[in-house]
Amino acid sequence: MAAPALTDTHDAPAPVPQAPPGRTRRSLSDWLDRTAAPYAYVTPFFAVFAAFGLYPLLYTGWISLHRVELQTPDRREWVGLGNYTEMLVDDRFWNALWNTFTIGVISTVPQLLMALGLAHLLNYKLRGSAFFRVAVLTPHATSVAAGTLVFSLMFGRDFGMINWLLDLVGVHPVDWESGHWTSQIAIGSIVTWRWTGYNALVYLAAMQSVPTDLYEASAIDGASRWQQFRKVTIPSLRPTILFTVVVSTIGATQLFGEPLLFGGTAGARGGTDGQYQTLGVLLYQQGWALFHFGRAAAIAWAMFLILILIAAVNALVSRRLRRA
Amino acid sequence: MRTPRKGHPGRTAALLCAAVLATGLAGCGGDGGGDGQGSSGGRTTLNLGLFGVMGYEEAGLFKEYEAQHPDIRIKSTSTADEQNYYRTLQTRLAANSGLADIQALEVGRIREVATVQSAKFTDMSTAAGVKEDGWLPWKWAQAKAPDGKVIGLGTDIGPMAICYRKDMFAKAGLPTDRQAVAGLWSSGWDAYVEAGRKFKKDYPDRKVAYMDTASGLNNAMTASAARQYYDADGKAIYKDNPLVRKAWTLSTQAARDGLTAKLRQFDTAWDQGFSNSRFATVVCPAWMTAHIADKAGPANKDKWDVAAPPAGANWGGSFLAVPATGKHVKEAQALAAWLTAPEQEAKLFEEQGLFPSSTGAISASGVSAAKLAYFNNAPIGKIFGDSAKSIPVAVLGPKDGAIKDSISNGIQLVEQQGKSPEDAWKATTKTIDKDVIG
Amino acid sequence: MTTPALRLRPGAGRQLHGGPVTFVVLAVAAIVSLFPLYWTVVAASTSNNRITRTPPPLVPGANLAHNLKEAYTQVHMGTALVNTFFVAGSVALATVLFATLAGFAFAKLRFKGRSLLLMLVIGTMMVPPQLGVVPLFMLMGDLGWSNQLQAVVLPTLVSAFGVFFMRQYLAEALPTELIEAARVDGAHSLRIFWHVVLPVARPAMAVLGMLTFVQSWNDLFWPMIVLNGDNPTVQVALSELGQGYVPDRSVIMAGALLGTLPLLLVFVVLGRQIVGGIMQGAVKG
Repeated sequence: MAAPALTDTHDAPAPVPQAPPGRTRRSLSDWLDRTAAPYAYVTPFFAVFAAFGLYPLLYTGWISLHRVELQTPDRREWVGLGNYTEMLVDDRFWNALWNTFTIGVISTVPQLLMALGLAHLLNYKLRGSAFFRVAVLTPHATSVAAGTLVFSLMFGRDFGMINWLLDLVGVHPVDWESGHWTSQIAIGSIVTWRWTGYNALVYLAAMQSVPTDLYEASAIDGASRWQQFRKVTIPSLRPTILFTVVVSTIGATQLFGEPLLFGGTAGARGGTDGQYQTLGVLLYQQGWALFHFGRAAAIAWAMFLILILIAAVNALVSRRLRRA
Repeated sequence: MRTPRKGHPGRTAALLCAAVLATGLAGCGGDGGGDGQGSSGGRTTLNLGLFGVMGYEEAGLFKEYEAQHPDIRIKSTSTADEQNYYRTLQTRLAANSGLADIQALEVGRIREVATVQSAKFTDMSTAAGVKEDGWLPWKWAQAKAPDGKVIGLGTDIGPMAICYRKDMFAKAGLPTDRQAVAGLWSSGWDAYVEAGRKFKKDYPDRKVAYMDTASGLNNAMTASAARQYYDADGKAIYKDNPLVRKAWTLSTQAARDGLTAKLRQFDTAWDQGFSNSRFATVVCPAWMTAHIADKAGPANKDKWDVAAPPAGANWGGSFLAVPATGKHVKEAQALAAWLTAPEQEAKLFEEQGLFPSSTGAISASGVSAAKLAYFNNAPIGKIFGDSAKSIPVAVLGPKDGAIKDSISNGIQLVEQQGKSPEDAWKATTKTIDKDVIG
Repeated sequence: MTTPALRLRPGAGRQLHGGPVTFVVLAVAAIVSLFPLYWTVVAASTSNNRITRTPPPLVPGANLAHNLKEAYTQVHMGTALVNTFFVAGSVALATVLFATLAGFAFAKLRFKGRSLLLMLVIGTMMVPPQLGVVPLFMLMGDLGWSNQLQAVVLPTLVSAFGVFFMRQYLAEALPTELIEAARVDGAHSLRIFWHVVLPVARPAMAVLGMLTFVQSWNDLFWPMIVLNGDNPTVQVALSELGQGYVPDRSVIMAGALLGTLPLLLVFVVLGRQIVGGIMQGAVKG
């Protein structure tokens, strides 16, 4: 969330200078305090991460080289890269990867564009602007589970509210859940609903910290409001936009709760035909519905590699942007 | 993936509240299992791990048992979703901890547990008061492990009939009397579908389908055969079994002919289909009747009726098993035996619509004479009882539930996604071989 | 100490007045944002049969209390609420404490390998939560912790985002001279942390705590795997309601309402502060 991730890790403030030498009695404990204490302060983070982040990460890699089933966890059969080769020839993996991508685009692109627009509007002086800010943020307080349950009811084929509204304007009812694109649009709209307001506030904050003189200067040059938005606001927001893109992309790669719950009894399949099965759901299905832990682990590593790829691309892009 | 039987209908869960309050803070401390809670104040606490609604609490059976045995206290936890229940059970079996004194097992899972994990359960056949001839022979055999142990006692079974809408049949010019309706399809499942073609032709409202789902039909047809997905040696033969193929062909044909409402059983839309009268028939096991009554609601009372099916078949039913590591194995076995004894199973049928697997209960007058008011006073005791008698002794395999689930999904590929039956069959068998059997 | 309000000033001078179009668009956005929540209330207060009626009901019915009670009893919602308060509360407390400690060290203390370690912290944000679940699940099974709350709490006691957030805040908001002065007085770093850092960090700690609480409250993936329906968190109970076999859609919506209500109440009461906090977090750096 904090835009700095992409900006100023290098210009850290000057550290505390060493105390003047020559003070004797407390020097040992002082010395300890200066050399050891900082490590002690960062230890909790690294300790917990090592136990519950790093260890599972490596162990997942190890498991992915075995055939392991939930019913018989102590019976492990070495299969080498078998789970990976099997995954790579499985249509469902590619289907899930592609779905993850398309649902990601459907849920991210309109979301960020709308957030930008909303932020722009929220930046105006307006009656009730405080209310609007809270209102657009409220969906964010709703959990994925609760939000998805409401939306799946509204997207119902026979008795859903959305089909009823469509019917009012003469559009035939849509079988949202079983269609390929319709189900992905429905799921994307849940994500968009929950995140647009939040991102709008992040953009709004960034807009408000754009120095006034930039606008004044462009106003003197005779720029219109739209030109100001394009020439001043957007470039100033670039790091923030990039940051929200990265966060949304990571979120989209891990998308899980919305498709799982949207599908009701077909959730773990990602729909009858897997039409909205994402990588996260596929992992869940293999591991916790079919009890194939080795395969689930292989999918997990595939997801990790994809994220690293995204990070690399992001690093390249942001470096170019910074140079530009 | 989930087993088709989500649990029992008509839940009221009145007493669960007390259980929640009682476990609320204990839950916060994190102890959800049976370890460490032995006897308190000279009384032995027995924990039951259940799924869906098994009806004991609702029928007041726990209270009754506690009254008869002042030294026993019963605590039960029920998981709504059998899939989640089974996953947790498996973890606890693997970890050998957190198991309840009695664990329920669903029929789609019983062979897997019996073949892979029978060592972790006690032999119920040697428990006090348990006699093999007290249960239907096939039900008893389903819980029998290769080593001869019987790991669970049969609770209910799911003999099937056809639940149908009298008023809709009348509008379609079909007979409405339950005997005459049963006569429509007495020659077999093809005749049931054939009646649907006539229904579709003559029923005035296009929005109303003949049957709820094609997968329900397929499920019932397969279940009416003795050889289904496995052979007696435990080999998966579903692909080569002509009966499985025949069921697939007939039900996908029914779907393509537009005889189904294109739903998924136990989905929201299916429930809504009952309340909004969107289909005229459902192949219904005994335990589903309460579900239908609940979903269709008071407005549709007496519009529903029950007719004998084209062939006897079983869907669902459970077992009570006692893990070997429990602290109170004897007491747990006694409770499991009591809960599955004729009197209690008869009571569960009369109050919850759960058809007994105990032979004594099946012949009890309360069961055989039972009528269901909601369904136009249909003599369900007789209809389901006759159906139960003609259920073949089916050969089950370890992954029966999962295969059935995948095939149901495959039929929905035809029904909802418009795939050709051939393509859908190919995709489905590929998935089963890879995910379920492989 | 710089307050977030002051930080936001620079752009404020430019604020232009919005016209009626702005107002209408924002009103639509607010309605779209709030309607699903309103409809949750409508659905939760009506009956199963009425929800499916066409046209759908738009005003609340009379069954709210009944449905809430049903939802409460069917999926152990009472246990779930207590559990979730406990989990989210302890996770938020621990995250804030550890993040502030580490953030202080990264921002103001000099030690070998500092920037490398900081890079590592940021790098861990990349590790998707799905990645470790398989061994984590087996680990919890071995420890006998599956279906117990510590299995949910322990892995989330720290957050890389939190460490980074606090580091960014303290780097700017905590004057180095303050620490120097305390050093000269002979104070140890822990003392400095307590008496100098904590008071300065308080606003950021509040924001981080709130964000962490909300996130932990809404966490689904891991709790759903390691917990079971008989000892759930709110989200696990909700997914049980949604996936499981339940009699009534309106009861499901009542469950959704129950699980969301605590956070919504916080939003209603503290909405403006939360908006300020999120914007403050965004502006930092």
